[in-house]
Amino acid sequence: MERILGHTISDFIKAIKQNGGIINSIKVLHRMDAIKLGKLVGQDEFGNKYYENNNNFVCRNRWVVYNEQLSLNYDASQVPPEWHGWLHYKTDLLPHQDPSRKKYKWMIKHTPNYSGTELSYVPYSTVKPKIEPWNPKK
Amino acid sequence: MIRYLMIRGKTITSYRHGTSINVSSSSKQHGVEPKTNLIELFIDEKAIQVPPGTTILKAASLAGIEIPRFCYHERLAVAGNCRMCLVEIEKQVKPVAACAMPVMKGWRVKTNSNLTQKAREGVMEFLLVNHPLDCPICDQGGECDLQDQSMAFGNDRSRFVDIDYSGKRAVEDKDIGPLIKTAMTRCIHCTRCIRFASEIAGIDDFGTTGRGNEMQVGMYVKKLFMSEVSGNIIDLCPVGALTSKPYAFVARPWENYRTDSIDVHDAVGSNIVISHRTGEVLRILPRVNEEINEEWISDKARFSYDGLKRQRIITPMIKLNGELQNVDWKSALVSVANILQDLSTNKCAAIAGKQADAESLVMMKDLLNKFDSELLTTEQPFPQKGAGVDLRSNYLLNNKISSIDEADVVLLIGTNPRYEAPIVNIRIRKGYLHHEQKIGFIGPPVNLTYEYKYLGQSVELISQLKLGTNSFRAILNNAKKPMVILGSEQLSRPDGAKILAEVQSLCKAINNSTKVPKYWKIMNILHTNASQVTALDLGYSSSLDDLKKNKPKILFLLGADDPCIKKEDFSKTFIVYMGSHGDYGASIADVILPGAAYTEKCGSFVNMEGRSQQTNAAITPPGMARPDWKIIRALSEIAGISLPYDNLNEVRNRIAEIAPHLLKYGDIEPTNYFSQLFEISETIHGTFSDNPIDIKQKTLDQYFMTDAISRASVIMAKCVQAVVKQH
Repeated sequence: MERILGHTISDFIKAIKQNGGIINSIKVLHRMDAIKLGKLVGQDEFGNKYYENNNNFVCRNRWVVYNEQLSLNYDASQVPPEWHGWLHYKTDLLPHQDPSRKKYKWMIKHTPNYSGTELSYVPYSTVKPKIEPWNPKK
Repeated sequence: MIRYLMIRGKTITSYRHGTSINVSSSSKQHGVEPKTNLIELFIDEKAIQVPPGTTILKAASLAGIEIPRFCYHERLAVAGNCRMCLVEIEKQVKPVAACAMPVMKGWRVKTNSNLTQKAREGVMEFLLVNHPLDCPICDQGGECDLQDQSMAFGNDRSRFVDIDYSGKRAVEDKDIGPLIKTAMTRCIHCTRCIRFASEIAGIDDFGTTGRGNEMQVGMYVKKLFMSEVSGNIIDLCPVGALTSKPYAFVARPWENYRTDSIDVHDAVGSNIVISHRTGEVLRILPRVNEEINEEWISDKARFSYDGLKRQRIITPMIKLNGELQNVDWKSALVSVANILQDLSTNKCAAIAGKQADAESLVMMKDLLNKFDSELLTTEQPFPQKGAGVDLRSNYLLNNKISSIDEADVVLLIGTNPRYEAPIVNIRIRKGYLHHEQKIGFIGPPVNLTYEYKYLGQSVELISQLKLGTNSFRAILNNAKKPMVILGSEQLSRPDGAKILAEVQSLCKAINNSTKVPKYWKIMNILHTNASQVTALDLGYSSSLDDLKKNKPKILFLLGADDPCIKKEDFSKTFIVYMGSHGDYGASIADVILPGAAYTEKCGSFVNMEGRSQQTNAAITPPGMARPDWKIIRALSEIAGISLPYDNLNEVRNRIAEIAPHLLKYGDIEPTNYFSQLFEISETIHGTFSDNPIDIKQKTLDQYFMTDAISRASVIMAKCVQAVVKQH
């Protein structure tokens, strides 16, 4: 109940306002199981938004709202590594505020976990095929 | 072959026919069996009445009591040398061997008494003294008679303790060819293989040397077991002495799945069991069917399964720039459907191959009929002059396979049943050994495993026999049940229609000069292709010449791989090959549609005697291959004339509309209209060509590779090599 209502009724009303009205709040509740009130601190290249509300205790005070286009198909692997550190309290500095962050040109773009999709990795077979196909050229 | 076995054989058959288990349906039906007085005896206090001459073992099995045995086999002569079937008879001092002892009135047999049990334990102990303990690495493990019977009837403790001292008797393994693996140390000298070789296979190469502990079963000299039915000794061997070489160390019997099916390598339609696991056919075993193959199958049926894994067509292909390229189903079907647009009458044609099933044949016929074409033929031409396919009796082995051994005179014309249909040859040999059968033969001299009167090679001999100028005619005239078997290969000769008509008038002449039973049919045709009768039943009534004459725009090859179909004859024709193996037919095709082999589809096949049977799908077709009828269904939809059959049942309902007997699996519709047939045959005039009668399969090496599957098989290739080397 606390996840929906927040601490006070005024927080609750603010949260509903922040989430764009009653109907939108119900949609958000359906998608994320919570209506949260917080400050938008940044957005990553994939359109995921990061929020902070230090009125909540630690572990509840930072969260990510995944790109709305993903609908319900979101998972934790869609958070890129630069935001991962902040989200998991490895650092309190936001990615764009952190001067010590290394950027090399060989660093590849983050990809989410492709398991269960067409892009998932399939190891090549080490077994001799059971069927020997006909080769018309032979 | 000396007929000394006959005397022994006769005693076996007399009791076999006397008991009610093995009486063949025909003899029962027609009341040829003599009425006999029954003898009453008691087995385990159970009263049972059996005809005189019945053995105790047979009587016990009638009473539902199983007596253990190793050497006894109901289809072989009685040897009585394993002593496992010893039973006690009241008021007799010693136990007697049940398999060889005919019953006497009032006997009280005890199959479970102390004496019997002790005798069995003793026999078992002696067998195991010299039998190696290699069950864990033995291929027979799990289906071994010795294993099973030592569990059921053996003693539960061993007195064999000198394993370190003298060891067990050891025998060197024999090399008897690429099919049978031997481990002769395991042999328990039941002599089933020896009896099979000399009685059924007709090869007297197997025998024993030495005596007592030194006794060995073998071929005397290093030699190949040159038989077309050699694989059956693997099933007969009660232990692991003779096992399958290609199946060695492949799987355990209890891990395999079994699917009942039909063999399609010849037109016999032998019943088989496909043993498979992990989507792979591991071995083929025979299934008992008294009407067809008893419990034997030919080596091609048993060992050519590795051909199912080689040379397979697994994707559709289109010929682009003179080379076949892999494509997807859609492009292949669309390219065929394009050709099918705006066809005038008789511009599309189809040739059915050796192993086409009734479902795909009927779909193909419907497809072509929609395009206003009747150009449907089979790979092996059947003469359409005269009765053609209108009368079934014109193209069937009318007399049934099971009554071949009843015949007293058999005339073989232009057929070598030993290789064209080994199961039929076993029947003829059975008749030769047990029923005093006389065999006449027209064709090139071949070894049929029994003696025959060689008449010559000329076609004119048929006319001579008809006119009565040949001496063999007198034998035919004196016969009570004569049979004339004509090889289907001769019908594809240019003068095939004349040969068929002449043989039919010969049969009429024989019929007029002898008094044959009403049910007996003299005229028989021995087919070599599994699909031939099915296709003729469904009305594949055109001929290859007709096809060539009509210059079709498109030609479908339903697995047809015969070199008689030449690319030159169809130079402007778009050839579509639909089949499972890349063979001759695929090499001349413009589009290839991958079909399923017989182990991968449920299909109906009619054998040479007109009996319909079905194969069952054991595994799925490889890659993108699909059952053939589904391909034709998809093609028809793309071509814009959807055939209204969506599942196997609907296709079979369609078959029932054309030929209802094709769905009566296991049954035979009796053939008739013989007088009309003979009348029609007299209207056919023509002359014989000068060519003598020839047969394609004359020697064993020509037997092994005859169709797409067996040509792709490595095992079959090894067999051919071994036979050629032996010569």
